[in-house]
Amino acid sequence: MNKYMASLALCLTIVSPAFSAETKLENFQVDTSVIAVERGVDAFMNSCHGCHSLKYVHFRDLAGFGIDKDRITAWRGDSTLDSAMTSLLTDEASLQSFGKVPPDLSMIVRAREGGANYVYSYLTGYYLTPDGKTSNHYFPLTKMPDALEISTTTDPVKRSGIMEQAHDIVSFLSWAADPHESERESLGYYVIGYLILFTILLYNVKLQVWSRLKA
Amino acid sequence: MASRIIEWIDHRFPLTSFIKHELTDYPTPRNLGYWWNFGFLAGFVLMLQVLTGLFLAMHYKPDAAIAFDSIQHIMRDVNYGWLLRFMHSTGASSFFLVIYIHMARTLYYGSYRSPRELMWWTGQGLLLLLMATAFMGYLLPWGQMSFWGATVITNLFRATPFIGDHVVVWLRGDYAVGDDTLTRFFALHYLFPFLIIGAVVVHLVALHSVKSSNPSGIDLADKDNIPLHPYYTSKDFFGLGVFLILYFIVVFFFPHSVLEPANNVPANPLITPDHIVPEWYFLPFYAILRSVPNMVGGVVAMGLSVMVFAFMPFLDRSRIPGGGRYRPVYRIMFFLFMLDILVLGYVGYVPPTSKTIAIGQVATFFYFGSFVLLPFISRAEDKWLFKRGLPAKIKALIASEEEDKRKRKQR
Repeated sequence: MNKYMASLALCLTIVSPAFSAETKLENFQVDTSVIAVERGVDAFMNSCHGCHSLKYVHFRDLAGFGIDKDRITAWRGDSTLDSAMTSLLTDEASLQSFGKVPPDLSMIVRAREGGANYVYSYLTGYYLTPDGKTSNHYFPLTKMPDALEISTTTDPVKRSGIMEQAHDIVSFLSWAADPHESERESLGYYVIGYLILFTILLYNVKLQVWSRLKA
Repeated sequence: MASRIIEWIDHRFPLTSFIKHELTDYPTPRNLGYWWNFGFLAGFVLMLQVLTGLFLAMHYKPDAAIAFDSIQHIMRDVNYGWLLRFMHSTGASSFFLVIYIHMARTLYYGSYRSPRELMWWTGQGLLLLLMATAFMGYLLPWGQMSFWGATVITNLFRATPFIGDHVVVWLRGDYAVGDDTLTRFFALHYLFPFLIIGAVVVHLVALHSVKSSNPSGIDLADKDNIPLHPYYTSKDFFGLGVFLILYFIVVFFFPHSVLEPANNVPANPLITPDHIVPEWYFLPFYAILRSVPNMVGGVVAMGLSVMVFAFMPFLDRSRIPGGGRYRPVYRIMFFLFMLDILVLGYVGYVPPTSKTIAIGQVATFFYFGSFVLLPFISRAEDKWLFKRGLPAKIKALIASEEEDKRKRKQR
């Protein structure tokens, strides 16, 4: 039986590469530190918040994560700590300017195949076509302008600065899409550790009970 | 004092005799492997789903305008709401995994054979109920995949003869999937687990009447049976520990692996996702549906692909007990069938191209072919094995099974 199970498992591993995504995305490591997320909020408020909302993220959530209170006060302006980070741009105005309502970004990292890798690749994927138009390697039909201006920047130092900014924005958006991730993972180690010990005990109980049979 | 209370209860309710009959004296074959853990695990996952679902329902709003928001409220604001939700979503996948292993074990060891046909058929009913519950639950997050999955699947009922269009409207409560569909699916998603619990009770009553099957394929003599408690309770709980480790690794570290990214986009009737794909546990059946060019034919094939298992007790004509254990041809058929299901799952997952459709059609043909040919193959295999001469061990098994049957007839 085991021989057959092994060959079944082998067949699975042969099939599985076919399940991976077709498009090659930039490989991206999300920075979960408070400092990176704080830089990300700042970049987001400057470059994205004009059009994009984060309706499931409230300013108080930023404070709960440990971001500096004074910076939050500066970002939120007249809105209260309890209000969601919604954009001031109305749907009608955005329809007029872009022909489309910009999507809410609260869940964007979790709502796209490729997750953070995709959003980072997309943000830094703008380029100039030979006839001087802006396009995007990962989403050619996008209606969004090149907000970080990476397509028109040629200076390598400035370009790496923009990539760092994109990195921070995506780190922030990753946190926004799954704010309890770090809590979840740290709790997970305790739960799994406890269960491993408990299962070892259960195994010994089982051995002891079954040893009566042989006697 | 305690013994007096129990005495008082026993006078009015068969507590002690129940525990004795169903646990401490309940005979279980001593040769069961770990594949026999999965029934217990399925019962455990059912309870897990009912409990996490109960607490989720306290915070969820079945209203198309706010359903998606209420999930985000659970994920972000409710204390440990994310844990409840990930336990429930991972639990759904675990439920199917456990049930599929439980079924595969039954098929491999021939546990569906007489006298356990009713176990197999109530199990078949449980599978259908589970599928319906999972399907309705998947609409509740009201994401793009929820909405379009429900649209595609309810649309299949158009294949019903004469009243197809009415059936679809009746199921949806509207001409298209909408708020009415969501509220009724929520009500039914809350009801169905209780139907499942009822069916599980029937399944268990049948089990305690015919007792567990075992790898030998025949009922063992009394000396080879041991009490369920403490032997199999201790073994089941160890298996549960292993299961929980694997389950919580997914819950805490890879919870998004069982959630489709497109379902994190709110339902939008105006935008169809590029690629509508059901949950992994429906993929093989979905592939069979797509393999038949005609819609009615596809729906019939899909329904049959689930229900065909019920015919196993009639299709398997072999006299040799123990399923795959003592029958090399059946064993090969079993593993080819498992492989075929994996191929179908892959075909159901990828966007259809002419190549994958062709592969899917061959795999569908092989899927049903296995069942159609089984009576002939099992008969031929039986003859071949008898002609070659059976090992003494199997001869003894058959002899003791026949003696068993004779005794039962005399009674």
